[in-house]
Amino acid sequence: MPARLRRFDGWRRLCAALLVYLGALALFSVVVALKGGNPFSVWSTMVRSTVLAGPTLQETLLRAVPIALAALAVAVPARAGLVNVGGEGQLIVGAVAATGAGVAIGASVPGPVSWLVMAVAGAGAGAAWAGLAGLLRTALGANEAVTTLLLNFVANDIMLYLIYQLWKDPKGSGQPESRPLVHAAQLPRLWGSQLNIAVLVTVAVAAAMWWLLRHTGWGFALRVVGGNPEAARRSGLPVRRLLLSSMLVGGALAGLGGMLNFAGLELRLRPDITLSFGYIAFLASWLGRHQPVKVVGAALLFSAIALSGNGLQLTDGLDGSIVDVLLALIVAAPLVLTKRRRGAFL
Amino acid sequence: MPVTSMPVTSPPVQTGTDTAAAVTDALLWVDGVTKRFGSLVANHRVSFHVHAGEVHALLGENGAGKSTLVKVLYGVHRADEGRVVLDGVAAHVSSPARARDLGLGMVFQDLRLVPALTVWENIALHAGRAGRLLRPRRIQAEIAEVADRWGLAVDPAARVADLSIGERQRVELLKVLMSGARVLILDEPTSVLTPAEVDALFDVVGRLRADGVGIVIITHKMREVRTIADRVTVLRGGQVVVADRLAADISDEDLVTAMVGTTVEAIGNTHAGGGAGRPLLQVRGLHVRGAGEGSGLRGIDLGVGAGEIVGVAGVAGNGQRELADVAVGAARPDAGAVLVDGETMPANDPAAFRRAGVCSVLADPLREFVVPGLTVAEHAALWSSAGTGRIHFDVAAAAGRVADAAAWAGLSIAAPDRRLDQLSGGNIQRVLLTLALGERSPVLVVSYPTRGLDVLTAETTRRLLLDARGRGQAVLLVSEDLDELLAVSDRIAVLAHGRVAGIVDAAGADRRQLGRLMTGAPADGAPGDGAPDDGGVTGRRMTGRRVTGE
Repeated sequence: MPARLRRFDGWRRLCAALLVYLGALALFSVVVALKGGNPFSVWSTMVRSTVLAGPTLQETLLRAVPIALAALAVAVPARAGLVNVGGEGQLIVGAVAATGAGVAIGASVPGPVSWLVMAVAGAGAGAAWAGLAGLLRTALGANEAVTTLLLNFVANDIMLYLIYQLWKDPKGSGQPESRPLVHAAQLPRLWGSQLNIAVLVTVAVAAAMWWLLRHTGWGFALRVVGGNPEAARRSGLPVRRLLLSSMLVGGALAGLGGMLNFAGLELRLRPDITLSFGYIAFLASWLGRHQPVKVVGAALLFSAIALSGNGLQLTDGLDGSIVDVLLALIVAAPLVLTKRRRGAFL
Repeated sequence: MPVTSMPVTSPPVQTGTDTAAAVTDALLWVDGVTKRFGSLVANHRVSFHVHAGEVHALLGENGAGKSTLVKVLYGVHRADEGRVVLDGVAAHVSSPARARDLGLGMVFQDLRLVPALTVWENIALHAGRAGRLLRPRRIQAEIAEVADRWGLAVDPAARVADLSIGERQRVELLKVLMSGARVLILDEPTSVLTPAEVDALFDVVGRLRADGVGIVIITHKMREVRTIADRVTVLRGGQVVVADRLAADISDEDLVTAMVGTTVEAIGNTHAGGGAGRPLLQVRGLHVRGAGEGSGLRGIDLGVGAGEIVGVAGVAGNGQRELADVAVGAARPDAGAVLVDGETMPANDPAAFRRAGVCSVLADPLREFVVPGLTVAEHAALWSSAGTGRIHFDVAAAAGRVADAAAWAGLSIAAPDRRLDQLSGGNIQRVLLTLALGERSPVLVVSYPTRGLDVLTAETTRRLLLDARGRGQAVLLVSEDLDELLAVSDRIAVLAHGRVAGIVDAAGADRRQLGRLMTGAPADGAPGDGAPDDGGVTGRRMTGRRVTGE
């Protein structure tokens, strides 16, 4: 195809994408109107309550941290053709391991040391959790989409057991919570704002993953395995080791996300500490086509949408969960586009 | 999709002297059909005539526009210009169903039967007789009658999945004939048949011709033109270059030249003789359970010496696939071993085989070689990394190497930054050949090397194989093309039902002898000498294509 035609094609695609997303927004407006809200006021609330004001923008960024890292945990195995639905469970075990390490250490060591210990514990736990599914896949051929999904429930049950029983805060209000992380072990704030170092760590990790996937032999080999496992095998690539490594790295990222969310924002282990962000992250990775930079962008968008529910509840008297409709529409919109374009999902 | 960009100048059309008379009474007249796909012209003002009681061969290379043309005829594609005239009346063929109503029957290359259904169910489905009430007995009786009339012996109650390819083709023919076709289009009908099955098919075609059916047979095999065709039309680059010529009036050389556009010098096998060097590749007592429709291997012993080409012949699905896989370490045999240069190789370890110097032209490049999204250079880097034991890829260096190898081999390949999965089958094959042959490894396992290639590149490829032999490489050549095997092999091993039915010296071999071995008959067996039926010869379909211009 001549270059001129290809460019034209690109333009048409862009216009089609814009139309489809505008359609999704319009559809959401209709839903809002049906629920008795004013779409215009709802849109203004959503924008104001997430990105315009300083504090809310900061919360959007902070909540995007676990989403982005759990989304990268989906993206890395996806390069090798694996479907990791276990971001939620890997976030949880990361938070659990970080809690265990952080609360046990307390204030006995300087802050940086405890941050490091918690990070290693969280990432290690996440890697182990995803690695379990990876092993089941490479050794027994068990479908990793199923095993990672089921392990989410196991992880949640382990966490609930701990905070209802062993780790329950004796001085707490009777709520099932762990003891809080001592101040010295909490992640440091940035420039006196609500933001903490987790945001910078996430950016650095995403950049590192971009580089690893794009510029190393490992990243290339993952693409080969994901694109055509039979060709990879015949080229003598260690297919099983590559599959397993992608799950380990992915799990470590989500585990780190769980740790950062705990040590920077939540500070206590509590039920629903992840706000189900592990599942939203799965969608973010697909929306970003498993490319680190786009995935992080999608995570930010989803973080903002998820948080805007609070604003809607307060200002517009709508149920906060209405934003789930918008989330679904945003994720579904690209499917309309791919119908005509074979090959690329989303 | 055989889409060819339009040549700048039209080649001169050679027309038969009797064309003017032919127009009036033609059963089928294709009149100036043009079909474009975007900016590409697949057919440009194509015209030809088919008469009742005549076999008309439509010749052309891959991409010449034959398939597009018949799809236009059959109502799959709509022509942009031109018309189809049936019995002197312009026909509006808007869909395959309409084509069938008009009396146009089509037997596709990839037979369109439902394997899980029986023969009669398939036919009822096609002939539109699966209405509200199925009347199995009546349909079966009808089938038996038609089958008997045309000599198409087949059991109406048999499940299609249990039939051989030859039998399936008979069902397909029955299906078309029972829907009352007056014009029959056969798309490369012989590509997967044994020589005996080809004879049987041509026997049926002969009877149909005698009964006044007009037959269009698409092919690129000169032998078939000579055996069965009354009239020939040649397509090149989407245009007719030889129109409606009587087959008797045109020589093989002229036909090949018309198809290719230049004269092709067929290589002659030098058959160096003198015996092969030390055995570089040996398989011993190989047993592999067949996967899918394949027959597997049931005890194979074979050796290829340095400076020798051993051909492997057989009807598709008789163990060739399994043999090639085991010989490159891509499959684990149930019993037996592969030895490279005397060393027993670890089974199912492709990297070890590469380290030992075994390179392979893979049987199914799309499944086994092409990684979606990667460029030619990236594939080259992947290829070079195999066997190094390291996960390290130097794409820039590989791009240079593959370009050098292509220049050395005399194969023109796509630019290194092109995505391989977006190239045509022939272009993918050229990249694969460049990588595999450019390595100059001691052992080459080559499967269907010329599939999808144009005549010139196919000849270049065969020459490269002979060069490899000259350098002392050991070559195992799996092919379905007997002419190709005879042209380059020193010895030919014939596989039937997973066993070596015989190994013959290529220099003294003839097609009939090989054909007999392919059906599983003993090499020197008299006809009827306990030859097993070929019920087991159900092959995966291969689409081996080339022009045989002998």
